[in-house]
Amino acid sequence: MNPRLSSISRSVGFAVVLLIILLAVNLILSPARFQPGSWGALVGLAAPLIGAAIASTPVILAGRGGIDISVGPLMGFVNAVVIQVLFLKAGISSPLLLVPAALLIGALVGAANGFLATVVRIQPIVATLGTYLILTGITLTILPAPIGPAPAWLKALAGPWSLLPLLLMFIGWGLVRRTPYYDQLMAVGSDDRAAYTAGVDVTRVRLIAYVMAGILGGCAGLMLTALIGSADPNIGPTYTLIAIAAVALGGVSLAGGRGGVAGAAVGAVDIFLLQSVLTTFNVSTFVLQIAYGAILVLAVMLTALQERLAMRAR
Amino acid sequence: MAGRNLFATTNARVVGAFCVAALLQLAGTILIPGYSAPFAVRAMLVLASLLAVASIGQTLVVIMGGIDLSIPFVIGFANVVAAQLYGDGWNFFLVCALVGVLALVIGGLNGLISRSLDIQPLIVTLGIGMIVQGLVLLWTAGFPSGSAPPVVSGFVSIGGSAGPLPVPWLVPSLVVLAAFVVLVLERTPYGRRLYALGSNPGAAPLALIDPVRMWMVTYAASAFFAAVAGVLLLGFTGSAYGDVGQPYLFQTIAAVVVGGAALVGGRGSYLGTIAGVLVLTEINTLLIGLGFQPSAVQAALGLIIVLLVSLYGRERHVSTTI
Amino acid sequence: MADRAASDFRGLAIRDLVIATEASPITQLIAPGEIVGLAGLDGHGQELFLKMLAGLAPPLGGSIELAVPGSSHKITGFRRAVASGIAYLPRDRRANGIFPTQSVLDNFAVATLSRDTRLGLISPAARKARYDVYRKKLSIVAPRPDAPITTLSGGNQQKVLLARALALEPSILLLNDPTRGVDVATRHVLYDVFRGLAADGMGLVILSSEIEEILLLCGRVLVFRENEVAAEISGEAMNTDSVITAMFGRSA
Repeated sequence: MNPRLSSISRSVGFAVVLLIILLAVNLILSPARFQPGSWGALVGLAAPLIGAAIASTPVILAGRGGIDISVGPLMGFVNAVVIQVLFLKAGISSPLLLVPAALLIGALVGAANGFLATVVRIQPIVATLGTYLILTGITLTILPAPIGPAPAWLKALAGPWSLLPLLLMFIGWGLVRRTPYYDQLMAVGSDDRAAYTAGVDVTRVRLIAYVMAGILGGCAGLMLTALIGSADPNIGPTYTLIAIAAVALGGVSLAGGRGGVAGAAVGAVDIFLLQSVLTTFNVSTFVLQIAYGAILVLAVMLTALQERLAMRAR
Repeated sequence: MAGRNLFATTNARVVGAFCVAALLQLAGTILIPGYSAPFAVRAMLVLASLLAVASIGQTLVVIMGGIDLSIPFVIGFANVVAAQLYGDGWNFFLVCALVGVLALVIGGLNGLISRSLDIQPLIVTLGIGMIVQGLVLLWTAGFPSGSAPPVVSGFVSIGGSAGPLPVPWLVPSLVVLAAFVVLVLERTPYGRRLYALGSNPGAAPLALIDPVRMWMVTYAASAFFAAVAGVLLLGFTGSAYGDVGQPYLFQTIAAVVVGGAALVGGRGSYLGTIAGVLVLTEINTLLIGLGFQPSAVQAALGLIIVLLVSLYGRERHVSTTI
Repeated sequence: MADRAASDFRGLAIRDLVIATEASPITQLIAPGEIVGLAGLDGHGQELFLKMLAGLAPPLGGSIELAVPGSSHKITGFRRAVASGIAYLPRDRRANGIFPTQSVLDNFAVATLSRDTRLGLISPAARKARYDVYRKKLSIVAPRPDAPITTLSGGNQQKVLLARALALEPSILLLNDPTRGVDVATRHVLYDVFRGLAADGMGLVILSSEIEEILLLCGRVLVFRENEVAAEISGEAMNTDSVITAMFGRSA
């Protein structure tokens, strides 16, 4: 294995092992749920969390405390605007308009976050906390209570076509990885001083990371809309912390510069599968929450221990 | 010089935050009849005191270069457990002792795991917090019962009075507590080590600072004060509620940051946090007084936090850190 | 020389210390009042050796023992080393030395905080008095000791760090490239301080990347090559040529 691959597998390793175990357990416990026929719905069910985790990744990769806790509220905001404002009030139902609108909202919110965190230089968690509060506030103002429905094509994105938005996200990120920008992002994430001295425009690189997070968040907002088939002001924000948990579980270093979107997605799938296992056991949501917390802490602990051992072995 | 500037601005931030709070009070008095009425001011002081207690831990942890997301969960834990056990007929002081010890253990665990394995405290405290909350929910089956003992209710009651003072005992107690926290930070070896550790973790061990011990002690203190806030909130609301701490997740962070602390560590003060607490409480009260919906208040709060921090809480550009 | 390592010896006794696999063991005695230089090309073990003396890196074999009148202590870790009377001045001031947001006084006192406490509280007067002793001794130029240490020049920051180490009142002082990034005038102040400390009976081990510095200060020099002491040169034999020759591994 080349060193790069092995380093990736080392950091994602635990999440992948967990994924395989959880998948096996799921298949044994409830084979019916995992029939090929229900794959579409299943992926659709997991998609918003995967999307949220992917959206949380670029900013974390950019390092120096970079974090975007407004991803969840952004999803809720996109959900509210697309259904309540554009679809129900303005009567726009064409995907050719709604999808670009969602992505544009995401990009704008991301740009605002990026401006605050990189140009104004407010600590990222505070800047995105600000946007978090603003977005939840506006969402509740334009949409005080849940409302429906969603356009049929959008609901299909949580059913038979559920893989499509995820694939597009991965393809998009794959394209980014082929650009010189990606190398700059990772360089800034692992050592921004060195990158700056090497002539990288650190501010610009980080700003773009926030914009990407926004666009991906907009996409995740559409997936959420597809899944719930309506608009609900309260669901979006719940994704924030669990998405960051998924990212950490997937071996992305919260210190920046290490990990990637694939790891984040695996981490999100882990959490989804765990949820699924516990649901089949019919345990209460309380146990579910304990399990979330325990898996999260254990996962980061094991990852850290694994890295230590690898370090010692060298 | 850059360094001197930094020193000057740290104090300026605290003074600035106090000024903003005073201006907001003035604005409220002009805009809203009865804003400065005794009862309104008392209510604000009680609310601010509760947030100030919950923010002690966040202040210490942030100075050290960490963050504590378990605070709201520990508040909820203390709130529910205290009510439940008191309702079961336990001696209330025994209940408090038990809750306090458990909180110390929770916090110590947060610090131990984060520091000894070098894991982001954001994730660890979140995970531990979720476990704690889950366990509490499981124990009470989601429906906490019990009630506040009169002694706590009286201690925090907005209508209460502390001797000749027209405020409940909570407020003067907080003043004493604040003086204690400031003294610990400024004048004890622990306080100086805390700032040093946050300022440069790499240099700390060579200066005979034990990072793991410091993290355990500080996170334990954070959880302890969160538990105190949880018990006080029980007196304030009268009955147990597991999610009572949720608003405190972001409010404690916001208070600390508005008060001039840097989340990268080494800077901040409890006096600053108190200023931040006053600003947040003022904004909240003012906007609700002006008739805004809670959702609009939340949006405005976000906007104001961003504005305030961009005025005086900016970080340095990477080029100046080389 | 090892014969002298009897119980009456005072100073730092290094016995059969192995600093890397397959490197031959090092036996050295650092006596009070002595200034020993460590030289070598980067990464040839001299820094590792110094860190092992400070208890910052575990040795692969052998022992390090500090003998002071009345007792002797095995060095097994950094805290143990400091408690026994060893002080260490790190190489990278920014990474491992200063606390940038903290004041000059804080930076000075951080390792010896308990000496200023009265009933658990730090007495600013006691701290200032203690600082003033070292301010004079090292001629630290800091107009406002309560201002952040970053307001000082590099040389003065280094002096504050040296004061922090000296405040531990060590019997052995380990210096890792102490004049790195320090201006010439300050260097000579530091040299005088080092000589004065040795004259008062402190043993000094100085790792330096500049041979002139070692020639100027040290009574003898250990030249490291491939994690071994390739040569020990002292007195008349110590000159630029002999040290460089040993550094590059040609026979002296």
